[in-house]
Amino acid sequence: MSPLRHVHPRRASERGAETAVSAAPPVVVEGLCKQYARGGTATPVLRGVDLRVERGECVFLTGPSGSGKSTLLAILGCILTPDAGVVRILGENLGLLDAHRRTLLRRQRIGFVFQRFQLLRGLTALHNVAVPLQLCGVPPATALVRAMRLLEQVGLRERAHALPSQLSAGQCQRVALARALAVEPELILADEPTANLDEYHGLEAMRLLRELAAARGRTLVVVTHDVRILPFADRVFRLEHGRLQPGEARLVDAGGTRGV
Amino acid sequence: MLALWSIALRTLVAERGKFITALVGVVFSVVLVNVQGGLFLGLLRKASLLVDCGGADIWVGHRGMFNVDLAADIPRRWVYRVRSVPGVAVAQPYLLGHSTMTLPDGGFESVLVIGCERSTLLGNAWMMREGRAADVVRTDGIIVDAWEAVKLGDPQVGSLREIGRRRARVVGTSDGILGFLITPYVFTTLDRASEFLHKPSDVCSYVLVQLEPGADAHQVCHEIRRRLPKADAWPREVYGRMCVEYWIRRTGLGISFGCSTLLGLLVGMVIVAQTLYASVLDRIQEFGTLKAMGADHGQLYRMLLAQAVFMAALGSAVGVILVALIVGAFSTPVAPIVTPAWLVGASTVLVVVVCVLSSLLPFWRVRRVDPLLVLQS
Repeated sequence: MSPLRHVHPRRASERGAETAVSAAPPVVVEGLCKQYARGGTATPVLRGVDLRVERGECVFLTGPSGSGKSTLLAILGCILTPDAGVVRILGENLGLLDAHRRTLLRRQRIGFVFQRFQLLRGLTALHNVAVPLQLCGVPPATALVRAMRLLEQVGLRERAHALPSQLSAGQCQRVALARALAVEPELILADEPTANLDEYHGLEAMRLLRELAAARGRTLVVVTHDVRILPFADRVFRLEHGRLQPGEARLVDAGGTRGV
Repeated sequence: MLALWSIALRTLVAERGKFITALVGVVFSVVLVNVQGGLFLGLLRKASLLVDCGGADIWVGHRGMFNVDLAADIPRRWVYRVRSVPGVAVAQPYLLGHSTMTLPDGGFESVLVIGCERSTLLGNAWMMREGRAADVVRTDGIIVDAWEAVKLGDPQVGSLREIGRRRARVVGTSDGILGFLITPYVFTTLDRASEFLHKPSDVCSYVLVQLEPGADAHQVCHEIRRRLPKADAWPREVYGRMCVEYWIRRTGLGISFGCSTLLGLLVGMVIVAQTLYASVLDRIQEFGTLKAMGADHGQLYRMLLAQAVFMAALGSAVGVILVALIVGAFSTPVAPIVTPAWLVGASTVLVVVVCVLSSLLPFWRVRRVDPLLVLQS
């Protein structure tokens, strides 16, 4: 039976710990193809991508604009489905999951960090971090306690009740990191997490993300253009013309600071 | 579910400008529905006021009687036939008719003269502001309503008027006995009413009946109709309803008030729907983010629903308070605004339904939001 069927929405955090011992690699992609219809003609974006990411690994995807990085990330995040090939995310074959189960997989087991933070502007930092928990059915009071703990871990306890508009870009990204970790996801996907930050805050955000993921043994896939943060990666892949080029593997210690 | 409500309400209230605009729309709807409905009910209450408050259990009149203010003459001797019906405790003649009151300044005003039998004063004025209702038996005595002061030349107790070229003395003023027609009521005794109306003393308009305890009104009516084939007899509630229905059907009042009430609801619905829709358009990225984080359509609809229901509830609460203030400030016997609990309850339910329907429009847009858009920045 699929792991998704065992998941109770109110036990998102416990679930994370349970599934962490699963032997299957969090990301297995074989012969992935994806094309978009543009102006009536099909434009291939991904042409036979193969990728395997081991548990606890931090993988960076780089490449020029339009190379298909975001498309690949969207497929890994169960937002898009492949046209061809096999994609297994956290042991689930995406091709065999209906839309509802893909949504559940995303909600309960995958965390997202977005380029523009994508915080809900009407909610305080604390409530923003609590959103994924509340989507999983965690009662508000419990969700807020967990959210506060996460904000403490990203050093924003004092700013918990500030709205996104009252936070700096660096602080917003830290809130977004805390939110991505809220349901203790097994897989964290980050889309250009440092693109809207200056050098100092970009490195700080990446260091924090790496530390938090490593401390929890979570798998991290990062799409980036930012060469400054490449040393945080265990492996770097370059996506060009829809094909993934193997990059140089890098070893990073648990703190994720080597080479920075 | 509770968790989603908390997200929904916080995001709703955060956008204060849009939230207040939608709230104003809901409040407007609630006020319009209640005030329009209240005016309608107030007007209808006037249509059957004499029947509802006249003190009679049964009204007996000419066959085909349809409205208390528009009565046909019947023989006064029917009173004796009615008194002989089992279950009848009291039966008294009652006379209504239009006449003209001459005012002190030489002007005149059309009035509806109402004459009641002096022994029981059944159907006489009630709710007195000045004087006593029983004073109507005094020489030339009439009772007029204080709210008709302008029409009747400010009638003070003791002042004289002329009705049908007969002397009349104001012996008291009632407080809010106004009919559906613009013609003021003038209460007097039966014989004096006959003089004012120049009618022979052997006719009247109705026979008012009070029942013995335990008597069945419908059965008594049936027996009266059997004994007086040219008469109609109706229990108070039935005749009151007939009077109301007469005005609704003849004047199209229901359609008119119904349309404006519907319009109020429609305006409220459009404002709420438009506001929620604009708010959704403004937060497309946020809905995309929620979808990317795993929110499904059911959860997103529940959020929009929560926002709509919250606006409906808050708008209704504010609206009901405003309605109470409006009723307190503007409701008079001339234009009564009657807002019974069922009207307030029904309008609140209606507004909630309208707001729930309104949330479908933004949901239609949210359904189409592609979570991919948050990755395409």
